[in-house]
Amino acid sequence: MMSTTASHGRVMMLPSPSRALQNQQPLIGSDMFRLKQTEPRGSRLVVAATAKYKGTKMREEKLSEMIVEKVKEATEVCEADVRSEGCKVAWDEVEEVSQARADLRIKLKLLNQDPLESFCQENPETDECRIYED
Amino acid sequence: MCISYECDYHFTIVLRESLGGEEEEEDPQTSTTMAVSTIYSTQALNSTHFLTSSPSSSTSKQVFFYRRHQSQTNRRFNTIITCAAQQTVVIGLAADSGCGKSTFMRRLTSVFGGAAEPPKGGNPDSNTLISDMTTVICLDDYHSLDRTGRKEKGVTALDPRANDFDLMYEQVKALKSGIAVEKPIYNHVTGLLDAPELIQPPKILVIEGLHPMFDERVRELLDFSIYLDISNEVKFAWKIQRDMAERGHSLESIKASIEARKPDFDAFIDPQKQYADAVIEVLPTQLIPDDNEGKVLRVRLIMKEGVKYFSPVYLFDEGSTISWIPCGRKLTCSYPGIKFNYEPDTYFDHEVSVLEMDGQFDRLDELIYVESHLSNLSSKFYGEVTQQMLKHADFPGSNNGTGLFQTIVGLKIRDLYEQLIANKATAPAEIAKV
Repeated sequence: MMSTTASHGRVMMLPSPSRALQNQQPLIGSDMFRLKQTEPRGSRLVVAATAKYKGTKMREEKLSEMIVEKVKEATEVCEADVRSEGCKVAWDEVEEVSQARADLRIKLKLLNQDPLESFCQENPETDECRIYED
Repeated sequence: MCISYECDYHFTIVLRESLGGEEEEEDPQTSTTMAVSTIYSTQALNSTHFLTSSPSSSTSKQVFFYRRHQSQTNRRFNTIITCAAQQTVVIGLAADSGCGKSTFMRRLTSVFGGAAEPPKGGNPDSNTLISDMTTVICLDDYHSLDRTGRKEKGVTALDPRANDFDLMYEQVKALKSGIAVEKPIYNHVTGLLDAPELIQPPKILVIEGLHPMFDERVRELLDFSIYLDISNEVKFAWKIQRDMAERGHSLESIKASIEARKPDFDAFIDPQKQYADAVIEVLPTQLIPDDNEGKVLRVRLIMKEGVKYFSPVYLFDEGSTISWIPCGRKLTCSYPGIKFNYEPDTYFDHEVSVLEMDGQFDRLDELIYVESHLSNLSSKFYGEVTQQMLKHADFPGSNNGTGLFQTIVGLKIRDLYEQLIANKATAPAEIAKV
């Protein structure tokens, strides 16, 4: 069974690990995986999850907005004095929020489901757990 | 048949069923065949046994162990019941960008089996990850100042003044002794400290973040520590990959952010690497002249010598200096290929062994070929490292030294855990039953 996943713009064709390693012998020749530098083609069997719940969508947007705001703020503060405490704290905030944004993206990809999934199973009536519709 | 055994308070039942005279069958699909059951979960036991306990005195518990019916086969079963004090193994992982090392954590927890997930039903912004054997705590949860507080005081998150090391020490110590704690939650979205969450003592506790080795008391609690040392060029390349898609960012802003944080990073975070048992150093490749894309990496696994329960990986001949290019007649690699180095060295006045990989894996057979030439991997079967890498082939670093060494460190931690548990066992009782 071959499955394709997209990762960082590359397509990897993977043989099913359990089948491949059942014999626990070194694998050569036909059982390979290839990293291709091309864009994924139409036939993607596994697609990375996007936000399903309103809460996740809100977090994504909020974090992206915060990045814009805080970069602007840091640029202004540092114009005055690049070695001030205020300057380094401002850029540290940018880093914190950028990482949080990236973590959310990674979570969506690695979990292949909305990070709020288990929370929303228990609390389906909250505003955050409304199904997001584009 | 009923066995009763008295154990001290806080105990784990180590149940090992071995087939007398035969090799224990191992299922290569599961990462471990340890059968360890704690008194508060009987899931690990199969249906022919059940475990009950009756609390007698306040300082000891009596355990009655029943076997429902005879085994159908005529193989001999040796049932070893060992009462061991609950000992949580504590691992420290230091990395910039706090708890963003989700790939390292997932590789690590995957070695022990099971996927690490956020605690179910609790605060959705929790940073904690829990699997069967491991719990991963993000040390940002021990911020004493929230985002507003840090702005007011003029300190970054890197600054020790923004962190409560007393609380960190108390709680890690409690978890290590088998006591559950109410741990605060630092919410990275709001920048506030949320209501605490209950953390049960796990078998393996991983504390991950900026300062796991900063405080000396916390350092003493660590059974093993790892420092992820990313060079400036690679850090820049990775942050570009991470941030360029965001509206707010540009090359300038990414650069400015790294520069502004550098003084605090060099003063407070970087010095921790001298305390680490293993350092994973990530540098730009030397195989491609003037490469600045940061896609091909040179990764060095610096392993401290003389650490209890930790035997460094080596290439061909332990303690010697080896330079190895696996690509040649038996193995064809595509550009830029793979180059390995192994040598003894000194690192901050400690004896270390350094295993280095430069380049990329392009095919499965390259990976298995390399694995077959490495020694002291602490793998349980041939090809385990390759299998683990394949399991997470979509994780970043799966085709280079970062994934390889993270996986190997995971196996080393498993090995350390098993040795620690075996050594902590006290007063074993052995009963043979036909």
